[in-house]
Amino acid sequence: MALELKQVSIRKGSDPVIDRVSLRIENGEVATVMGPSGCGKSTLLSAITGSLDPVFTLSGDILLAGNSILETDMSQRNVGILFQDDLLFPHMDIAGNLAFALPPSITGYDREKRVAKALETAGLKGFGKRDPATLSGGQKARVSLLRSLMADPEALLLDEPFSKLDQALKAQIRSFVFQQVKAMNIPALLVTHDPLDCPENSQVLALELKGDPDA
Amino acid sequence: MKRFSFHLILGLTMVLLLGGIAHAGEWEDIKKQARGQTVYFNAWGGSQPINDYIQWAANEVKNDYGVKVIHVKAIDIAGVVSRIMVEKSAGKNEGGSVDLMWINGENFKNMKSNALLYGPFSQKLPHYALVDVENKQTTVFDFTVPVDNMESPWGMAQLVFMYDSQRLDHPPKNMTGLLEFAKKNPGRFTYPGIPGFHGTTFIKQAMLELCADPDALSRPVDEQAFDDLTRPLWDYLDALHPLMWRKGKAFPESASKMIPLLNDNEIFISLSFNPNEAANAIANSELPESVRTYVHESGTIGNSHFVAIPFNASAKAGAMVFANFLLSPNAQARKSDPKVWGDPTVLGMDKLSPAQKTLFDAIETPEATLPAKALAKVLPEPHVSWVTALEKAWLDRYHQ
Amino acid sequence: MTNNLKSGKLSIFPLFIWISFGITILAGAAGVILPSLDFFPAAGQTRLSFDPWITLFKSPGLVQSILVTLFTGLAATFCSLCLTLLFVSLFYRSPVWQWFEKLLAPILSIPHAAFAIGFSFLIAPSGWIMRLLSPHVTAFEVPPDWVLVNDPFGITLTLAMIMKEFPFLIMVTLSAASRLRIEPTLHVGQSMGYQKEQVWFKVLVPRLYPHLRLSVYAIIAYSLSVVDMALILGPSSPPTFAVYILKWFNDPSISYKLVAAAGSTLLFAMVAGTIFMVHMIEKLAGYAARRWIVNGTRRSPLSRIKFPLSGAIITLIACTGLSTLILVVWSFTLKWRFPEALPTAWSAKFWYRGLADMQDPLVMTLLTGACATLISMVMVIGCLEHDALQKQIRRMDSVFYTFIYIPLLIPQISFMAGVQLLLVIFNLDGMWISLVWSHILYILPYLFITLKATYLDFDPRVYNQAALLGKSRYRAFFGVKLPMLLRPILFSAAIGFSVSVAQYIPTMLVGSGRFFTITTEVVSLAAGSDRRAVAVYALIQQCLPMVIYGLAILLPKAIYYNKKGMH
Repeated sequence: MALELKQVSIRKGSDPVIDRVSLRIENGEVATVMGPSGCGKSTLLSAITGSLDPVFTLSGDILLAGNSILETDMSQRNVGILFQDDLLFPHMDIAGNLAFALPPSITGYDREKRVAKALETAGLKGFGKRDPATLSGGQKARVSLLRSLMADPEALLLDEPFSKLDQALKAQIRSFVFQQVKAMNIPALLVTHDPLDCPENSQVLALELKGDPDA
Repeated sequence: MKRFSFHLILGLTMVLLLGGIAHAGEWEDIKKQARGQTVYFNAWGGSQPINDYIQWAANEVKNDYGVKVIHVKAIDIAGVVSRIMVEKSAGKNEGGSVDLMWINGENFKNMKSNALLYGPFSQKLPHYALVDVENKQTTVFDFTVPVDNMESPWGMAQLVFMYDSQRLDHPPKNMTGLLEFAKKNPGRFTYPGIPGFHGTTFIKQAMLELCADPDALSRPVDEQAFDDLTRPLWDYLDALHPLMWRKGKAFPESASKMIPLLNDNEIFISLSFNPNEAANAIANSELPESVRTYVHESGTIGNSHFVAIPFNASAKAGAMVFANFLLSPNAQARKSDPKVWGDPTVLGMDKLSPAQKTLFDAIETPEATLPAKALAKVLPEPHVSWVTALEKAWLDRYHQ
Repeated sequence: MTNNLKSGKLSIFPLFIWISFGITILAGAAGVILPSLDFFPAAGQTRLSFDPWITLFKSPGLVQSILVTLFTGLAATFCSLCLTLLFVSLFYRSPVWQWFEKLLAPILSIPHAAFAIGFSFLIAPSGWIMRLLSPHVTAFEVPPDWVLVNDPFGITLTLAMIMKEFPFLIMVTLSAASRLRIEPTLHVGQSMGYQKEQVWFKVLVPRLYPHLRLSVYAIIAYSLSVVDMALILGPSSPPTFAVYILKWFNDPSISYKLVAAAGSTLLFAMVAGTIFMVHMIEKLAGYAARRWIVNGTRRSPLSRIKFPLSGAIITLIACTGLSTLILVVWSFTLKWRFPEALPTAWSAKFWYRGLADMQDPLVMTLLTGACATLISMVMVIGCLEHDALQKQIRRMDSVFYTFIYIPLLIPQISFMAGVQLLLVIFNLDGMWISLVWSHILYILPYLFITLKATYLDFDPRVYNQAALLGKSRYRAFFGVKLPMLLRPILFSAAIGFSVSVAQYIPTMLVGSGRFFTITTEVVSLAAGSDRRAVAVYALIQQCLPMVIYGLAILLPKAIYYNKKGMH
């Protein structure tokens, strides 16, 4: 099931943004991409999820469970993503947000059961009917992760998911995320600029600033 | 005896003369009052030739009498009547927004019966003496309603039909002929929708031609006899409608809207209330030169149109000066020129001085217009009560 | 403390609108309801009775007229809404979308009446399309007797209204887009395996719709009570209900004016009833969709209609463009008969005439439009600023925002007749200031529709920052907030101005026929026969808002040409 980057290069016009990056992440492993703002971390994530802006050109290959996903439509890649903003849908309750992510193969009462169970594992029992706006930052972050995982992704990308949380909360959510990834047994790629976010004993890929990819 | 009659004649002459002087004196006062006034003339504004004519007349009275006339271009004069009514409701008995309006028929009847008009005034206008009230009955009876000098005649109208002589050799001579035409040329005739001035006139014309007792139409509607009298009309229309343009399911909004239809051969026969409409439209390049005018052999309905002053007009003197100017031989002759507008005059030729008469003689009659002789048979308007009755019955039958 | 003080002062704006709109609306309502109960002193009617209502319900073809009105109104609204939602879901940010966005301002600026005239010149049996095809393709020497315009079911009218209302909804969608966080939401949804279209319909549409709701209601009200387009394109026997009312209103006999008042009351009830019904349908649909939204289905059948939909959109735009082009052709025509593809004789004389005649009306139109828009804008910004400052305490009642839209919901002809009565009583009729006020009634709601979201979303931190940096609140507002909002404000003002330009009934009734604008000239000429003159006037009417839209778009670009953050 591993997620593999093979000699991935991304250019914007003639400017290189990412230069020949290779990485292999095994199931249950959390690898980290680190670098300062503007080094192309987000561009790399877009390449993996399939939302790369057409101004960029990509060479190399990205494999998921041994198959190239470059030609696969974004919605078919099975790559989940977690942002620093929770991006919970404000017009649905918590249960609705989670049920939205569940595959359609789970039907009827089973959906409610799955949602309730997921909330319980995250220590949010009985939160199903709550409005997302009434949750604390930590609670939102947890729901947001749960939602990403309920879609049964084959890989998970974490786009600076802890950067908006305070120190105490950060540690708590971090371990919650890593725990969940382990339990799901999928590869995960964490993007951050904070060395303290990295899980212990993990692969770290450090990117450097090359020009100004956002300009 | 002789002496006596001489004195009598002298006396009468004196009275008349003095009256005339008094009259002239009053008119001088009116002219004096009018100077500097602004007259809001509310008149239909859908035709550039007519708008241009009104603009010309406005310029003339500005120069000659110092009266400023502004043409308020209405789309429907009944809307103007409504406004005057609102003003009356609100107790605005002076300083009203309308000084003079183009009017006739039902609108006149309504304004007269609701005391919304100023007057009598038309007898005060010097040029009114030239109006052919003897032979042009419709200048004193507007849709059978006595005018009583509450409005001043402006022009004459008569229902005429128009056709393209390149498409049609022999236009119909009567309503039956029109039906025959429709059978041969399905979809190529229509008349304007009801209610509406032109459409209603066409229905009245058909009624006059088809009704067993046309005299009944000059009397108020007798509800008992209405169904019997109108049966031939409905039978006729029932037969005609399926053969008409859009199968009688849609009607043009007004007679003006039929000019483009005639130009494009959507229809082959159109109608108008102005005998010179075709000539004017040809001069204006709106119709091909092959268009001709015709009337039914039994004659067609004719009437007059007028200008009237609302009870609360702000510039009554100015309005009278303008109304008088509109009656002047100069203005009337220009109006009747098909190149300008082509609206027939209300003046009597026998009442004009030779110099005034030459103004009219100078106007050429274009080929598209009928000679005066052909237009001689004018049918009087039915009693005004028929308008509402026929419109209502028509709507009941065909409006669903 | 300063916040409260400031917002307290600003409360004069909503207060002023409450009072002035309140009086006007009450007068309008009284002016409709009293005559409908047979109360009309000018005609000596002072005894209350239900006679006008009885006559109304006995009117021939009434049921069919009401049915065709409901059909055209609902179909136009429903189709415009569906088209908008489908278009945004399938094409948001695509090349087609960007292309459409560029054309939006010119399309929106076309007045309804001018568009209807051009559209009828295009599709009538003797219209341009048929001329281009005849006689070679169709073998028609004379126009076919087909019911292409004025069809009894109002289908042409419905199509024309869709062509006008769909771009309006797209514009409202654009102004709401900033609030929806569209890109990240699509990203999240797609990363869960959802097709883009499905994310739109399950997540974004339910959040977009509340922003469209009032515009949808305005479209319902407009399309049920539209007169100018219905006269040109709608069925004629019987006509749509609003046209029927107009005919009664313009009927010489006084009793029909009372029937017109009863009809107007009924039409208002129809508008209110339809909006209530649609509101209920919204709730039902929302309830029914709840399970569907979270049932997990990822794939949407909608992607399959992408091709036909783009075809439909392109056809709509092409028709709009051709409707303008045919006006241009007619405006330079001297002679043109069916089936010639182009005029056989050309002339510029109608342009000379039109431009010469238009000078005074043009000045009047610009002056009235500019004043009415400026006053409306000051009031709207005053209200919104008041609302923005109160954010933490209490958002201005939604009642207020609903209240402002009432002028759009009352059938114009009877409402304005009532207002006219009030003005005459206070001797304010025929005064220019009254005319400006009557335009404000119709501009204000559109300014709220187009500006509210953007204005209230303005980041208060920027404003507070500016105020804290030693500047006064006054300077923060005029020096920072307004300049930053210049683009949406000007665009909104352009819409307000084009609303003012299009007003016919208020100009004629409230102005007592004393003020001539481009629209009064167009409408009066459109009652006549001359297609060439009408085309010239309609084009002039169309150009004015287009120029204003152009300025509204170019001005901020010129001012902020070197500020990337302002684009």
